[in-house]
Amino acid sequence: MANNAEDVENNTAVTPRPEDDAGGLRLRSRGGGGDGADGDAGGGGGAERNGQPPAATGPQGGGVAAAVEDDDDEELTLKYGAKHVIMLFVPVTLCMVVVVATVKSVSFYTQSDGQRLIYTPFSEDKNTVGEKALYAVLNALIMISVIIVMTGVLVLLYKYRCYSVIQGWLFLSSLLLLFMFTYIYLKEVLKTYNVATDYITIAVIIWNFGVVGMICIHWKGPLRLQQSYLIMISALMALVFIKYLPEWTAWLILGAISIYDLLAVLSPKGPLRILVETAQERNEPIFPALIYSSTMVWLVNMADTEWPPKRNTTQAPEAPPAPEPLAEASPPSSPREEDSGFSRDWVNQQQNQLGQLQSTEETRRQIQEMPSDRPPVEEEDDEERGVKLGLGDFIFYSMLVGKASATASGDWNTTLACFVAILVGLCLTLLLLAIFKKALPALPISIFFGLFFYFSTDYLVRPFMDELALYQFYI
Amino acid sequence: MNLERVSNEEKLGLCRKYYLGGFAFLPFLWLVNVVWFFQEAFIKPAYTEQLQIKAYVKWSGLGLAIWVAVLTTWITIYQHYRAQWGEVGDYLSFTIPLGIP
Repeated sequence: MANNAEDVENNTAVTPRPEDDAGGLRLRSRGGGGDGADGDAGGGGGAERNGQPPAATGPQGGGVAAAVEDDDDEELTLKYGAKHVIMLFVPVTLCMVVVVATVKSVSFYTQSDGQRLIYTPFSEDKNTVGEKALYAVLNALIMISVIIVMTGVLVLLYKYRCYSVIQGWLFLSSLLLLFMFTYIYLKEVLKTYNVATDYITIAVIIWNFGVVGMICIHWKGPLRLQQSYLIMISALMALVFIKYLPEWTAWLILGAISIYDLLAVLSPKGPLRILVETAQERNEPIFPALIYSSTMVWLVNMADTEWPPKRNTTQAPEAPPAPEPLAEASPPSSPREEDSGFSRDWVNQQQNQLGQLQSTEETRRQIQEMPSDRPPVEEEDDEERGVKLGLGDFIFYSMLVGKASATASGDWNTTLACFVAILVGLCLTLLLLAIFKKALPALPISIFFGLFFYFSTDYLVRPFMDELALYQFYI
Repeated sequence: MNLERVSNEEKLGLCRKYYLGGFAFLPFLWLVNVVWFFQEAFIKPAYTEQLQIKAYVKWSGLGLAIWVAVLTTWITIYQHYRAQWGEVGDYLSFTIPLGIP
């Protein structure tokens, strides 16, 4: 799942074009569209200049003036880079805080009801380690293959221009997520705090929350509110994962998904890469859905420098997570009938689950979309640039930290270690983004750091700290 | 979305739609309307559509105040009298607190 962080700014800042007579301003404001102007396939002279690290700013446009501008660009790039990293830290941290707070206080999310998702049909309550491992691996394989299939379907749909189908799915899934999961969440939280609530109040609350959420996400709404909704939705999804994935399966899935992400985004035949290239060929933005954007970005649709620039302002940052109830389209009805233990709730949740995975594909795709030939946009787009991170990234980061806080013996030690590891990974990813200036998967580095720190802290650091504390030995 | 980049007519349209939408039992929408367009309506220097936006914001605020009053009253009544209502109280309840009060 390519959840790619994209720094639009860096992309634009470091790709000067000789035809820009507006100079530095133009250069920096290039490609204000919500997708990192990668420009790798771009028409015009920008192509070969991409991929140069910010450090290598030679006078590409020729002339001393260009060199001076490049220096300014370089500074600006770095400055924006740090700012953008911080802009992403805040929502990721908030999401994790919400998940950890919920996991710690509401026991519902750490109890195992014995129910599992339809995608992980094998139980892990086995006697021997070998069986457990086997079933965990099988579960993970099933999940990953589901994800691959879904990505494939989505890419096909996109290729054959069935946009309405995709949009309908996204709409339905965010609907389910905003209403159903919030209802369950609210119920559990209220139960935990032993507060009496009546149906009327609950109905009003959920109705308002859901409808305003749909409006903000799929239509127009204040940016902060939209960002908050995206964070809440990611947290809800992460909580579902934490609850319904068995122990070992969860860790395996995290690892497997990071690897898949890497492959799908970077390898030439990866589905997400195909999607991006298709979008580039058609010169249109991929669904700006399921992406968290730190600022609102104007999507400028410009084909070429020769063509008259056609301003097409759309809101980029929508997208919330749309778990699509794909299951409705291709109903796996037989498993459902067999699993008579699953109540309606579960079926819906599984649909959401399915959708969620779907959406993470979407997300990645979104991140990857990069208009290839986008000549510089007008100056007004200067300030409106931000970094984008897929919601799937939020979800898996929060899931890792949430699971760490739920099941680790080292408790806060481990949780904090994982949290720091993920943020460090995110920093590194954004740095790489600034260097390579193309879509990158945001999962692998952070997740691998997170996993490494989880296991090492839990099994190495914590006993060490305990011993030190026991003997009152301070280092 | 950033209101800075949007034309005045669009702002008016947006404000109006939020106002009308709030009639569907959506006081939250009215709240968003008030908060979001407050600066536009009252603090910014005058422009042609501002008068109408002001009106919408004021009416949204009024609707919001009414809803808040009604909800607060209902919640107070419910919390206070729930135990005494017996069956009806339980029927109305979404979550019932455990333990002895």
